[in-house]
Amino acid sequence: MSAVYAYPTLVGKIEVAVRGASMDGKPLQLSLISQRDQVVALHQVERDDWTEGVLDLEVSLPTEELAEGPWAGVSCVAVLTEGATNTRVVSRLERRRGDTHWRGQVRVRRSTHASRALLDVSVVGSHGGVDGRILGRADTPWLVDLLGRTPSRQRDLEILEEDFRDGPEEWLRPFMDAPWLIDTTGELPTILLNTSFEGLSELLSGARGPLEKATAGLVAAQIAGEAWATMFHSALSDLEFDDDGTPHFPGGWRESVLRSMLPEVFPGLPLHDALREAHDCRGAGRGWAEVQSRIEVAAGKRSQMPKNLVATIRAVSRAQEGTYR
Amino acid sequence: MSRTRFEPPARLSLLPGNLATAFLTHGVRAGQEDLPQVAVLRASTPIEGDSVRWSVDPVRELVEQAMLRFDAGRTEADAWLAPRLHATLRMSRAEAANPGLWNFLSLAVAPDFVLWRHMPSGTAEDGAPRKVNSARFVGPHYSQAFARLWWAAEMFRDGSDYGPAEVACGNQDMINTALRLDAIDHRPTALALVSVLRTLSDRGATRLGDRVNALCTAVNVAGTTLMYEVIAPDDPPRQDALTAWIEEAESAPAVPWERLPEGPDDGTARRSSCETLSRMFEKFAAEAPLRDRARASRAVSD
Repeated sequence: MSAVYAYPTLVGKIEVAVRGASMDGKPLQLSLISQRDQVVALHQVERDDWTEGVLDLEVSLPTEELAEGPWAGVSCVAVLTEGATNTRVVSRLERRRGDTHWRGQVRVRRSTHASRALLDVSVVGSHGGVDGRILGRADTPWLVDLLGRTPSRQRDLEILEEDFRDGPEEWLRPFMDAPWLIDTTGELPTILLNTSFEGLSELLSGARGPLEKATAGLVAAQIAGEAWATMFHSALSDLEFDDDGTPHFPGGWRESVLRSMLPEVFPGLPLHDALREAHDCRGAGRGWAEVQSRIEVAAGKRSQMPKNLVATIRAVSRAQEGTYR
Repeated sequence: MSRTRFEPPARLSLLPGNLATAFLTHGVRAGQEDLPQVAVLRASTPIEGDSVRWSVDPVRELVEQAMLRFDAGRTEADAWLAPRLHATLRMSRAEAANPGLWNFLSLAVAPDFVLWRHMPSGTAEDGAPRKVNSARFVGPHYSQAFARLWWAAEMFRDGSDYGPAEVACGNQDMINTALRLDAIDHRPTALALVSVLRTLSDRGATRLGDRVNALCTAVNVAGTTLMYEVIAPDDPPRQDALTAWIEEAESAPAVPWERLPEGPDDGTARRSSCETLSRMFEKFAAEAPLRDRARASRAVSD
């Protein structure tokens, strides 16, 4: 839900850096903190028995704007949340006399987190006699990843290789002739590549020569396109509702998928209207067929299908010219 | 719905959502077909270790007792069952966040309870058999038949006192609406909501359900621009006390049926913070517009 503020808010930038981290008192390698991607991988190889991680935060606020603004009692807090465990921990940050930054520690307890927590920073103060008003937020929250071994954001989609025919996952047996399968029921959407489909993983991971490379690109685009379309449909069927039936974004990857694709599926509509429109169409069936085509096109574009198809057509025709000449 | 022929497994396991959904046929959800138990068990992964915490019997006993006690008014089972389920299934939030456990409870341990508790009453308009919404078997924490009870007890308890959780679960609008709100992740906010609910119901307020929904909406909307944690600070729960309580599960007797069990003694919310927010929410409740029933007839409760 986007907030409407009935009071002046901060315009200047709030910048957040995680300067260090430790797990049960042992410092975390700095390579597990990525300033660029704003991710901390709270994970130590071969140990899952930790109980508490501590992150050292350093925040810079638009100091002048704050000093001259109409607010009083300004404080700065870090908010650590994870939807899956209904956890929300707010820690106060402090600014020492003479320091330009606000600093503080955020505690991450293993037992209250499942996989990924978001770390946000807000500036809070009073205005018009009301305390505790949110005056500003950092643009992008940091991500605290409890499962990842590297600090990267690229976990919006998981790709796994599985043997559909003879592997341990029995539920994949009925799909043994399918080259891949897209599973959107779990925590993260997953593309399962069938290793018993001969040549597929070799093509995707080790294509040689222009023809093979173009084919691999085309197959990858095809998989990605299907994944985007499936993710869109699955996200749309997993909305949350107010008691008057107004749909809300569902959070997590489902929300990112909807937010990025809805503007293309319903061009010109504000995001929340587009969500409502999509939900109504799907429920009532009215106009749902036309929407299908637009979902397909939006998914294809995201997967770079047109670009890859052109590259493949050119590669094939070049190869043929070579043979006939 | 027969309750005797069902033979539950001995230990709890994890049943992934993608596999669980496949078993939820129309017949199963209408209570006309049995679940293929062998296949359900085969699709599940056992929980490692031999902790007593993962035995099925105590949960099964509790659920059967609930169905017996509240046969005349099944929604009333929530307030009785929530704290007792929480004190029986002792675990961390990280463990409770695994949907596989809840799926297993609803498909392998007590599908009869899910049907009993959530089968819509009355008859369907088109004459088709009534059936339970799939989200009661496999769904988010605020819908799934067991997860909603466990999480309601977790979010609304005040340290070892399950009293507020019992009150919250005694009102269907509270448990159904408030449990969806991120705002209740802050304990004084959750407890202040319960305190306003108590006041409203003591006062014999009319249209209590609508008032609770309006209050929840107001608290949530205000929460987008107000930081309740700053207005009403609280202390983090004492982790060691929670861990000790979870470990005591190994030797703890079965939960009492006639009085409330004791929850983990991991610290109560700050009184002053709860009072500050209660006063604020009383005002919200007095000012919040009640929804127009005629317009909002789409909302269905089961």
